[in-house]
Amino acid sequence: MYQWSEEQLMIRDAIRQFVDKEIRPHVEDLEHGDLPPYDILRKMFATFGMDAMARERFKKQIEHAHSVEEAKAAGLEPPAKPAREGGSDPSMQLIPIIELCRVCPGMVTAMGVSMGLTAASIMSRGTIAQKERWVPELLTMEKVGAWAITEPNSGSDAFGSMLSTARRDGDEYVLNGSKTFITNGPYADTIVFICKLDEGNPPEERKILSFVLDAGMPGLEQSKPLRKMGMHSSPTGQLFLTDVRVGRDRLIGETEEVPSGGRDGAKDTFSMERSGVAAMALGIIEECLELSVNYAKERVQFGQPIAQFQLIQEKLARMEVARLNVTNLVFRTIEMAKAGASLTFAEASAMKLYSARAATEVALEAVQLFGGNGYMSEYRVEQLARDAKVLQIYAGTDELQIVAIAKDLIRR
Amino acid sequence: MNIVVCAKQIPDPAEPGALDPQTKTLKRDGKLILDESDMYGVEMALQLAEAAGGGEVTLVSMAPDNKVDGLRSGLAMGAAKAVLVSDPALAGTDALGTAKVLAAAIGKVDGAQLVLTATESSDGYTGTVPEQIAAILGMPSITFAKSIEVRDGTVYVKRQTDAGYDEVECPLPCVVSVTAGVVEPRYPSFKGIMAAKSKPLDQLTLADTGVDAGSVGWGGGGQEIVGIEDAPAREAGEIFEDDGSGVDKIVAYLENLKIV
Repeated sequence: MYQWSEEQLMIRDAIRQFVDKEIRPHVEDLEHGDLPPYDILRKMFATFGMDAMARERFKKQIEHAHSVEEAKAAGLEPPAKPAREGGSDPSMQLIPIIELCRVCPGMVTAMGVSMGLTAASIMSRGTIAQKERWVPELLTMEKVGAWAITEPNSGSDAFGSMLSTARRDGDEYVLNGSKTFITNGPYADTIVFICKLDEGNPPEERKILSFVLDAGMPGLEQSKPLRKMGMHSSPTGQLFLTDVRVGRDRLIGETEEVPSGGRDGAKDTFSMERSGVAAMALGIIEECLELSVNYAKERVQFGQPIAQFQLIQEKLARMEVARLNVTNLVFRTIEMAKAGASLTFAEASAMKLYSARAATEVALEAVQLFGGNGYMSEYRVEQLARDAKVLQIYAGTDELQIVAIAKDLIRR
Repeated sequence: MNIVVCAKQIPDPAEPGALDPQTKTLKRDGKLILDESDMYGVEMALQLAEAAGGGEVTLVSMAPDNKVDGLRSGLAMGAAKAVLVSDPALAGTDALGTAKVLAAAIGKVDGAQLVLTATESSDGYTGTVPEQIAAILGMPSITFAKSIEVRDGTVYVKRQTDAGYDEVECPLPCVVSVTAGVVEPRYPSFKGIMAAKSKPLDQLTLADTGVDAGSVGWGGGGQEIVGIEDAPAREAGEIFEDDGSGVDKIVAYLENLKIV
């Protein structure tokens, strides 16, 4: 794949029209007001039939899961996973991400954490009953999801420094801990809470368990949105758990025996999250480049458009190189998914590292190209530059991506 | 109820358009999109078919170079099939010739009970094609519909006027032109977009329509474009010096325009 197909361009144009009509007029309220992004996202899902498609896909996955269980119970070979159909082409998820990120990247963060991270972590390791109980409404955005791993003292060292605990108490668990920087935390209906099983053993030997919580459970407190540098349209908050009692039905997989002590499940989620960041970066880069080219052609200084100056041309050329590279990474993701292949952890890290840096560099150069106007909110590149920066921090910092890539190289 | 919608494919108004100095007409060699004014007809047709409990919506179009992008948009919205007439001999066809071709194409759609059109296209603006189609097909017609209902073989229309609207009715089959306010066109769903390419799209030549080649094309029209020129630059506005009587002058000016 070297360019978008006719159908993909139609999807892009339709989403672009929706963004122009339904989101651009509300950017001010989303960015600087109190308008949460969820109603607009739900409208987008309903408008384009994304909710119905998600429900259909989920139904097929559950049917398959049932047939696997039945085959296992009968001592037969489990049936193969059904082949992907056109409806599960990843471009249908990536194109809306790109288009939303041209205007309001925070909305993608809110959407991605809810239907990506939260739903995916239940889908990948939950029991069939757990999937049916929580996932459908997350996939359609009817319910807002949050995935709670980061703590005040555990960021990049997510598992090593994790203090949140689960203690057994009869048939139940008692959960305690504080989580921070939790996307959708203030508004989440469904929360995946990741913690360590405290059996009185040393913290580094404890198993990692994930529980599904519902808003309003006794002992669960969701903070107001935190103030932050960018991504204002994605509410971020803290979660406080004080003796939250849960049954085994809320333990993902309903078993404490999870592979690699539970660390692999979270890693799969990281990998998926990292490839989504490339599409986000592409949206920011495309918008910044388009705005910059138009501005450079119109802005006159010293008697000529600034596009005639070679130092400005250098900025535009570098932006275009970034756009081409990140586009190719996104195309590669689509091709691989269609072929049933998936990125390795190190490849996902490499893609995330490059895309996030490219988006930040392009957006900051756009601010520079716009000069004083670029520093003003009115010209929009200021918002995109603030938004882009977090791509280098969340879903694993640049530094952690580098470590993941290097470890993989050395191990070969 | 089977409904036909006349769907014009036009150069994207978001792109700078250009006139061909040779033919003195709009260049149409780039990508063509579905005229926004026809999206209202497509949406109205889909809603009427749904309200009638079924039936097909068919798009009919005439365009150069077998262009189908605009029709795909209408199919993605939910139309069942499309008919495109494309033939080099049709270049330069005037409004009446276009109506003849479209009427012939509509005649090939089985069981078409209602024909919807826009009031005028966004690139040609003649606004005469809907009535010409009705006359050629021998159907009654209603123009400028702001709402349409169909009950028991009769179409009930609120027809937009300067003063408000008239309530008009006529028996099916008929031709109705719809205004931009008639309904809010839907966005195509992802599924609709993916399905659009596999929907039937019949491509006809001029010969297939049976329309006399002498009545279409550059030579067949009853009109000739003798010249094209840029619109005159807007004249400077009138400037009032405020010598203390500024308000009176502005009021007098507005009274002269019958605004106050």
